[in-house]
Amino acid sequence: MKRFRRHGQESQRDRLKQDLYQFNKTVEHGFPHQPSALGYSPSLQLLAIGTRSGAIKLYGAPGVEFMGLHDENAVVTRVHFLPFQLELVTLLDDNSLHMWTLRAHKGVSELLEIGRFTLTGPPGAPPSVTRVTSVLAHSSGELLLLGTEGGHVFVVEVPGFRELEERNISLDQVANSVPEDYIGRRNLEHVETLQENPVDPNQVVIGYGRGLMVVWDLEKHQAVQHIPATQQLESTWWTEDGGHILSSHSDGSYCRWTVGGQSSKDEEEKSDIPYGHFPCKAISKIVQLPTEEGPPFLLFSGGMPRASYGDRHCISVIHGKTHVALDFTSRIIDYFVIRDGPLHTGDPGALVVLVEEELVVIDLQTEGWPVIQTPYLVPLHSSAITCSHHVSAIPLKLWERLLAAGQLQITHYSPKPWPITGGQNLGQDPPQRDLLLTGHEDGTVRFWDASGVCLYPMYKLSTAGVFHTDADPNDNMNQCSEGEWPPFRKVGCFDPYSDDPRLGVQKIHLCKYSGYLTVAGTAGQILVLELNDEAAEQTVEAKIVDLLQGQEGFRWKGHTRLDVREEPVLFPPGFQPFALVQCQPPAVVTALTLHSEWKMVAFGTSHGFGLYDYQQKNSVLVKCTLNPSDQLAMEGPLSRVKSIKKSLRQSFRRIRRSRVSLRKHHVTNAAKLQEANARLEAELAEMELAPVQRKIEARSSEDSFTGLVRTLYFADTFLSDSSHNSASLWAGTNGGSVFAYMIRMPSVEHRADEPITAHPAKEIQLMHRAPVVAIVVLDGHGSPLPEPLEVAHDLARSPDMQASHQLLVVSEEQFKIFTLPKVSAKMKLKLTALDGSRVRRVGVAWFGSSRTADAGESGLVVLTNQGDLNVVSLPSVKMQVQHPCIRREDVSGIASCVFTKHGQGFYLISPSEFERFSLSARNVVEPRSLVEVPANATAASKRRAAPDGASADNGNARRDDADTGNKTKFNRHAPPNHRSTFNSLNVTLSCIKRTCHPTAAPSMLVFMSRRIISIVKCRDLISSAMYTHTHTHTHTHTHTHTHTHTHTHTHTHTHTHTHTHTHTHTHTHTHTHTLPSPPLTIYLPARVLSVALCVY
Amino acid sequence: PACIENKSLSYGAEFRRFSVDRVKPGKFEEFSRLIMHIHRIANMELMIGYADVHGDLLPINNDDNFCKAVSMAHPLLRIFIQRQEEVDYTSFGTNTLTRRKKAVVTMRNDVNRKRPHIRIGMPQDFRPVSSIIDVDILPESHRRVRLYRHGSDKPLGFYIRDGTSVRVTPHGLEKVPGIFISRMVPGGLAEGTGLLAVNDEVLEVNGIEVSGKSLDQVTDMMIANSHNLIVTVKPVNQRNNVVRSSRISGSSGQSSDSGGSTGYPSLSVGGGGGALSAGAGGVALESDEEADIVIESSVKRPSRRSNASVASAASTASPAPPSPPSRPPSVVSTASFHSQLSLNGSTNHQHHHHHLSYQLHRDLNLQNGPQTSNPALRHSNGSLHKILSSLRTDPRHSLALPRGGVEEDGTVITL
Repeated sequence: MKRFRRHGQESQRDRLKQDLYQFNKTVEHGFPHQPSALGYSPSLQLLAIGTRSGAIKLYGAPGVEFMGLHDENAVVTRVHFLPFQLELVTLLDDNSLHMWTLRAHKGVSELLEIGRFTLTGPPGAPPSVTRVTSVLAHSSGELLLLGTEGGHVFVVEVPGFRELEERNISLDQVANSVPEDYIGRRNLEHVETLQENPVDPNQVVIGYGRGLMVVWDLEKHQAVQHIPATQQLESTWWTEDGGHILSSHSDGSYCRWTVGGQSSKDEEEKSDIPYGHFPCKAISKIVQLPTEEGPPFLLFSGGMPRASYGDRHCISVIHGKTHVALDFTSRIIDYFVIRDGPLHTGDPGALVVLVEEELVVIDLQTEGWPVIQTPYLVPLHSSAITCSHHVSAIPLKLWERLLAAGQLQITHYSPKPWPITGGQNLGQDPPQRDLLLTGHEDGTVRFWDASGVCLYPMYKLSTAGVFHTDADPNDNMNQCSEGEWPPFRKVGCFDPYSDDPRLGVQKIHLCKYSGYLTVAGTAGQILVLELNDEAAEQTVEAKIVDLLQGQEGFRWKGHTRLDVREEPVLFPPGFQPFALVQCQPPAVVTALTLHSEWKMVAFGTSHGFGLYDYQQKNSVLVKCTLNPSDQLAMEGPLSRVKSIKKSLRQSFRRIRRSRVSLRKHHVTNAAKLQEANARLEAELAEMELAPVQRKIEARSSEDSFTGLVRTLYFADTFLSDSSHNSASLWAGTNGGSVFAYMIRMPSVEHRADEPITAHPAKEIQLMHRAPVVAIVVLDGHGSPLPEPLEVAHDLARSPDMQASHQLLVVSEEQFKIFTLPKVSAKMKLKLTALDGSRVRRVGVAWFGSSRTADAGESGLVVLTNQGDLNVVSLPSVKMQVQHPCIRREDVSGIASCVFTKHGQGFYLISPSEFERFSLSARNVVEPRSLVEVPANATAASKRRAAPDGASADNGNARRDDADTGNKTKFNRHAPPNHRSTFNSLNVTLSCIKRTCHPTAAPSMLVFMSRRIISIVKCRDLISSAMYTHTHTHTHTHTHTHTHTHTHTHTHTHTHTHTHTHTHTHTHTHTHTHTLPSPPLTIYLPARVLSVALCVY
Repeated sequence: PACIENKSLSYGAEFRRFSVDRVKPGKFEEFSRLIMHIHRIANMELMIGYADVHGDLLPINNDDNFCKAVSMAHPLLRIFIQRQEEVDYTSFGTNTLTRRKKAVVTMRNDVNRKRPHIRIGMPQDFRPVSSIIDVDILPESHRRVRLYRHGSDKPLGFYIRDGTSVRVTPHGLEKVPGIFISRMVPGGLAEGTGLLAVNDEVLEVNGIEVSGKSLDQVTDMMIANSHNLIVTVKPVNQRNNVVRSSRISGSSGQSSDSGGSTGYPSLSVGGGGGALSAGAGGVALESDEEADIVIESSVKRPSRRSNASVASAASTASPAPPSPPSRPPSVVSTASFHSQLSLNGSTNHQHHHHHLSYQLHRDLNLQNGPQTSNPALRHSNGSLHKILSSLRTDPRHSLALPRGGVEEDGTVITL
């Protein structure tokens, strides 16, 4: 390792810093928070999801991901790909339309916004005239049809967004031709649906809210046929052969209408209320797809009997005699079906459903329609994440065993491969295998493959089996009784409601070499688990450890400890618990570490810490750190929490239930949402105006939770004299104390029977009394000591035991180096005293140089309460770099941050998404992929149009000719074998096509014409555009709100009473506004709830 | 040339007579050196007192009261020499000596009940509580206040809040967010100084501007610096500003108008600002050496002879589990040995203490190296005194001794 500590070499040091550190937010893992729109391009095989916060995310084959963010902080209500092109259109609830494209740049595609547009009505017209309620991206790829609230259909040329006024279909034109006897002709209402005739692109059906459907010929600009449905219209579907239109209605019925031929005969052919007799809810979307042989598939969402199943989120799939009502875990946003065949016109293969909390893909070709496991977009929050732990560079052996254990858990998934395969993943294979472990509120630990761009679920461990819980066995998700009507089948894994909050996982530590895992939870339980490839039936005996050590005057008012099952429990292959420690009082475990070489686990709570020998299953040491004058800790902080939590959870359940699928009009919904937002904003503003004051007082030993153990650390170092090293345990508390114990271990042959002893060796009281958040021992070279077994596995150099060791104590306010064995202060770096920020998260990382292969150095990665990331050098404790990363108000994001050993990190940007960032110049994991219009796409459009109308065929042919002509022309200029140039040319071609129109919108024209002139110029433009996108992160108010809550959570243990004021405020807020507000604010993830508690 | 004969009493047994020039008594330093020489005392902090005409025991510890004492002599001056740490300051003051004479016949308790006399502390025992600093470099409308919290049980005792202040900018008056003092805790340090008041705007904390920082950030900064807090405020009441000599002609009212509520030049303007913050930084550094308390239990390796370790472990092993870690027992025992005034000779018990204190003294002097000249001695003794007094009042506060460390067998206190 190189170290540069000489003075006068600043420039060299700066250069080195550039080689070592580089900050990037690289990729978002997990499921987008609050999705609001779904789109799919069969030709590109790309899926697009829009969210309430204005993000748009594209997914193809695993590893192919794109993300864009609208400048407006508005809900994305629609996403439509332009057929056979790289463009997509989004509609926001501020009524603006946005054009995005996937542009190849240096061989890698980028998602860019290339235009925006808002409909302008005639002067003086009410805004409803231009309020877009439905969008049709015409198969020509050149037209966009926009139906509005006023009942008009506007025709816009894309991608330049040029209004084609002469082609607009006004309400008057339609109303005039409506048959006299149609009841609703006075008021057709808004345009609910627009659908193109699959066989004749010139025909579209316009469905009005009142029920009337009009088949309109775009070429002749006149109505071809009127379909006089009288029920409120929800959706329409034009069957594959163009012969029928299906309409679904708000009363839970759907009708089939014959189109064309005898225009006089427009009677409905068939009408049905599938779940009839009693009043039903609306069928919001209906789809019918043919199969090669056999009956067609009919799919529709909703339509459930209002009284009995009005709260279910269902999609019914009917195929022949098979009829299943797929019962989803949350509100259905949208769905589509992926069809087989090279041109995606074959049998339905998979049903893709986007619900509010997850993406579910159902294999429609395998018997029983099983679910296909998603390789991305996995709901991280299927139970709320309570903690996370990252382990870098997993040995292959452990990896394989984990995979094998995980395979056994997913046998109920479909064997079919993931059906969405668009794009080409150009990313290199990850250099190492990394695991991210997330602990959840329901007592599970999920293992994620975090090596690459896709966060892929590997294995799930449940710790609940060890305990008796009051979980209702009838609450089984996959329960299905025979003969039930409707024939429900539960699908999806989102289940945020933990029935026993004590099971919540708080701390995790995995030893990657030995396969030992320790998991600690909310009720003071510490499990030690071992990886076993076979199922085993065993009893887990609990060892109760009294952390109070006879402390007087203590009364624990919190929850009781968990009841341990006394009978043997069958554990499936995977991690199986073999030792259990239960702390008394059963307070939440706040620190945990495992030393696999010494076979010991150390754990701490707000009352003290203990050392447990898991080989002998024996408690070695218990130390009470409780301050007798600390009333809060004495009472047990979670005392009043549970009841509140319970009541909150109940009210949420109630709200969820009552939240009937009102996916009626986006308009009203959006208006409501905006109203709620505005209200929330006003309230927040008001709250900020109220004077908040902070007490300025030095910390004293009487402050709350000074005894809370924040960090535990095992080290083999020099504790008593500089010639003998020995095992030691270090503990740091909230009150700025550090305790060091010397561990005396018997020789190897007597390890199993001779007792281990621990003796107090040192005690340091930091004068500034800030909470100690990390302790690290540095070896003679100044590098952190390696992990246990790391040296034994030849994966780390053995530490230097010749020169003297140093002790690094990181408090929330300072980094301080002490000498060892005699503790005296050597160096320090102050943080809080100088800029007012405090250390929230800290980790040791190795930064490899991006220039020289084996150069690099260790450093501390630090996240402050201001959301800034810092790197602090070791052992000189000097600040190296600083980057703002998380908004300071995003307390839950800051609290969730976890660092890797190689300078990357993760934090939650929503309950369901991890943002991945990198501080290292060498280790960066980011998506690199290329999406191109498939070669057969244009051919496909031709062929698709082939069986019908000659005029359409002609149109397409003409365009294709133009395309090929251009292509050849450009290719001649392009250097051969130069992939990137070729790609950009491809893109340019489509631009030319677009800009050919003489009257394209001027702003776009400038832009477009530049593209034609010079590719280089155009790239410049693109990159600047992209720059603005990636740097404008805005979040909704819901976010802010959520974070305020979590604030209380993360601070609970660390806070001095200075912060009580905030807490109170937050609390009031919760009660007054959150609960009764409409959907947006109501939706708080379970995790946040669990927290608000600790406030009291 | 009138020579005064002095009678000196030390340790209750030793008497010396010597003379001092009444007209030119000289410096106190010389006098104390003389006394130490006469009594053959070295390396020890002494408290010198004298009996005045009224029979009161009064201290001699500077040139002025030395002169006064000499002038009081008629013809003899009774001088009392005590070991510094044994001095009972209640014995100074009015009637102390006469009372002491009576004490033979009256019960001590009765005397105490009769009249609680005013204590007069020794100058070295006075510690600064607050000060106004950097008057010369700050604008008149600003005040930089340093609060010394060390050794005090008093809370800092104030609250801050968000607010808006009006500033003069090139674009005219502008409202900007600011931090203000919102409340003073009665009896707190901040209130006691009288230098801070509710609604004073906080501009800097230990040389760092607070503008652009959130209330929580400023709170954290202040708490992190609480042992030596320097706040620069713009007092809401501009009447009591320090008026600099250059402006002395202008009334204070005028200065409050000019620098008043509407605005003031930004602190960081020009070189003055730089010098200012550098100065503050220097101050922060120098008084910054807050030492952490380290207790090292002597857990010897089993292989080593552990004759000593058994004994020491008994006395020093880390405190009993329930006690909070702040008060190391060994330090406490050191702190407890300031004993009663011993005019009547010393007991065995006190001898024991003497031994310990000697040892401590010796150790301290060792650190000072060969320089055992008087100023150095005085310095070191002063610091010892400070330590002891600080230990007495606040065991948390630092053992702020020069680096190097003192080791004793068994218990190790790293200083």
